[in-house]
Amino acid sequence: MKALLNWLDHRTGYKLLVHEALNEPIPGGARWRYITGSMLTFTFIVQIITGFALWTAYSPSTQTAWESVYYIQHQMSYGWLVRGIHHFAAQAMMILLGLHFLQIVWDGAYRAPREVNFWLGLVLMQIVIGLSLTGYLLPWDQKGYYATKVATNIAGSTPFIGQQVQQIAQGGSAYGHHTLTRFFALHAGLLPALLTVFLALHVYVFRRHGITVPHSAQGKPADTFWPKQVLYDAAGCLVTLALVLYFTLTRSAELSAPADAGEDFPARPEWYFLFLFRFLEFPAISKMGVAFGAIYVPTALMIIVVLMPLIGKSQWGHYFNRLFLVAVLAAVAVLTGMTIIEDNHNESHQAKLAFAERDAHRIVVLAARDGIPQNGARELLVNDPLTQGPRLFARHCSSCHRFDGHDGTLQKIMKTVEENGVKKLIPEPATAADLKDFGNREWITRVLTDYDATFKPLENAGEKGQAILTGEMSSWCKDNQKALTDPANAESLKALVEFLTSQGGRSDLGAFDEKLVADGKEIFKGGTLKSGTLSSSCVDCHAMKVAGERTSLSEGAGAGYPTLTGYAGRDWLKAFLRNPAHPDFYGDKNTMMVFDDKRLSEKELDLLVNWMTGDYYLPPNAHHTK
Amino acid sequence: MANPSPESPPVVPHGPVAPRRGFISLLAVLAGGIAGLVPVAAGTLFFMDPILRKRKEAGGGLLRAGDISDLPTDGTPVRVVLKSDIVDAWTIYRDRVIGSIYLRLMPNGQVLAFNDTCTHLGCKVDYQPAEKQFFCPCHQSAFQLDGERKNLTPPRNMDSLEAEVKDGEIWVKYQNFQTATKEKKAI
Repeated sequence: MKALLNWLDHRTGYKLLVHEALNEPIPGGARWRYITGSMLTFTFIVQIITGFALWTAYSPSTQTAWESVYYIQHQMSYGWLVRGIHHFAAQAMMILLGLHFLQIVWDGAYRAPREVNFWLGLVLMQIVIGLSLTGYLLPWDQKGYYATKVATNIAGSTPFIGQQVQQIAQGGSAYGHHTLTRFFALHAGLLPALLTVFLALHVYVFRRHGITVPHSAQGKPADTFWPKQVLYDAAGCLVTLALVLYFTLTRSAELSAPADAGEDFPARPEWYFLFLFRFLEFPAISKMGVAFGAIYVPTALMIIVVLMPLIGKSQWGHYFNRLFLVAVLAAVAVLTGMTIIEDNHNESHQAKLAFAERDAHRIVVLAARDGIPQNGARELLVNDPLTQGPRLFARHCSSCHRFDGHDGTLQKIMKTVEENGVKKLIPEPATAADLKDFGNREWITRVLTDYDATFKPLENAGEKGQAILTGEMSSWCKDNQKALTDPANAESLKALVEFLTSQGGRSDLGAFDEKLVADGKEIFKGGTLKSGTLSSSCVDCHAMKVAGERTSLSEGAGAGYPTLTGYAGRDWLKAFLRNPAHPDFYGDKNTMMVFDDKRLSEKELDLLVNWMTGDYYLPPNAHHTK
Repeated sequence: MANPSPESPPVVPHGPVAPRRGFISLLAVLAGGIAGLVPVAAGTLFFMDPILRKRKEAGGGLLRAGDISDLPTDGTPVRVVLKSDIVDAWTIYRDRVIGSIYLRLMPNGQVLAFNDTCTHLGCKVDYQPAEKQFFCPCHQSAFQLDGERKNLTPPRNMDSLEAEVKDGEIWVKYQNFQTATKEKKAI
């Protein structure tokens, strides 16, 4: 073995190389504060390894980028692990970059003869930021898409050349295939190559001048790099890796729904750019234009940083540099904290995030069902009632109705009022029923036993609304409330509800109790309860043809008495929405909006109705939750 | 290469602290080794995905291959194209051609099905009506109509496929097999 190594050394001279690498003197002894550089190099190597692995499965185009990342994350062996490490190591790199920078400036390691190396470090910092910006877009999910749009729009605000810069970055005037191919080539090709070259130069120049020994350590015995400093460095790397793994295992790398230019997203940049985001929000700053806050101010700060070695020649200059850095970091911390706290208190923003999260979960369920169609994963969401229903509800129904108190998409509907000269937001009262439970057992029970409470919002709907609340069904309910809520009639009420619920043929309401349905039919027909009878039976007013039966149970009293044939089922709801003023429904008494095909296309109507009647794909063992 | 500042004291690499130095070295190697190994292992396992992951078996079910009335009653082979949904990584392609087969109607009403891929090196085998044989244009493999090989170029007979007739419809379990081996091994 020794002979072989001697032979290799004779041919290559590797021993000298190893000796030089490991026996670099550390004046003043090994110290923990020197480890940040090695940790950065380590995370960069981790990124190269995991990045290469991801590269073998990633496909940069608008129809395959999200899809391939989904496949990596949810289908491939250890894809979640590799992507998680890559995702969180990237964030670790930003933190380490900050620590390294802080240590260099604090210890005055930028001063002669190390100015050039300081500048090389700044170049490395820009490359790392470039890697982070380009990498964020690659999954082509909503989050990366909208956050990166902000970044390229900022580039577009550069004076004189902005538009050209933006088009070159995007590969055209809009986002598309070439945005991804370009960002990918930068992220996996040019930037890592530049980083490698500049890192080599950085280490070379560092070795030339050696470590900057802080005052406290001067005069203490020296060490060599090996083994004590190597141990410190390795321990630092191990801790970094442990943290990265911890986040991978507990939080996993996020993947929001596929990018969709037509779908809003509560975009925020990655946490390390939140300060800039918040800075641009200040009215005083936004008034000055995007270029001022996003380009001029950061550039001015950067110029001061670049000049640090010159400013720091005097002791006072060095103090200035320290103070400047601490001030900037403090401002960054405050702005970041402000954004996080403000966002946490912003109910509407939180609702948007929660709703976006639902899309992110839903698309994974749909994609796992039997694969992604050729046109991409977005198509699955576009055709999914559970995804589109709430949006259609928000657009078409929520001006009067609510869904569990919100507009379908978890947003509270608010309006601005002026109170003592102060404008404030208050919830906008609904003018029609909350439809969360529409057609289910609770709904029908409530309509029968407490009609006025179910339709209480109609109070806000003016005269026509009042007319409904004082109408025949309302009086029928008042007349029969006592009988229906009598504990002796609990079973009768249950039977009537079961019968009515079963008419819609809905699959989201569980199995129906045949015995109850049969009993309920008799009550519906004759009005005879276990104890007493109804003031008038349902068939006296409502038309009903029981599903599967040849003849109608009743023809009803005509226009204005809604038919209960197939009540709250797909067909009933579609016909009702298309024309609630039809004689089969409210007739002349109708106060509801008519949704003809100009207002709601056939496809939209299907999506809305299928969502409301629970007719959409659910994975095995899942339960209906709208 | 290293150029320590003139004020630095001399380096003391050896001395009475040597045993401790050995322990530190060991720890350094261990810590560095683990830190380096984890990402390499994760990346390698991910790269090995094609052999680590069990995929949903493609073409496992029966595919419709036409009607029995389409086949000549004298047992002449007919080439039929099979269509199915294909999954390629994340994409599902609906109703795509996945391959072609030969079908023969036997006098007893049974249907024989063969994969038309040559067992030698995977070219498509032609039917030659004049010689009443299957013939591969690549390396002259020839097979009888019952699939038995007529020369020793192919390593085995033609690959038969499971086929059944239900209400006049022909249903075939389409499979591809490893070429150039004696055993018929589904892939």
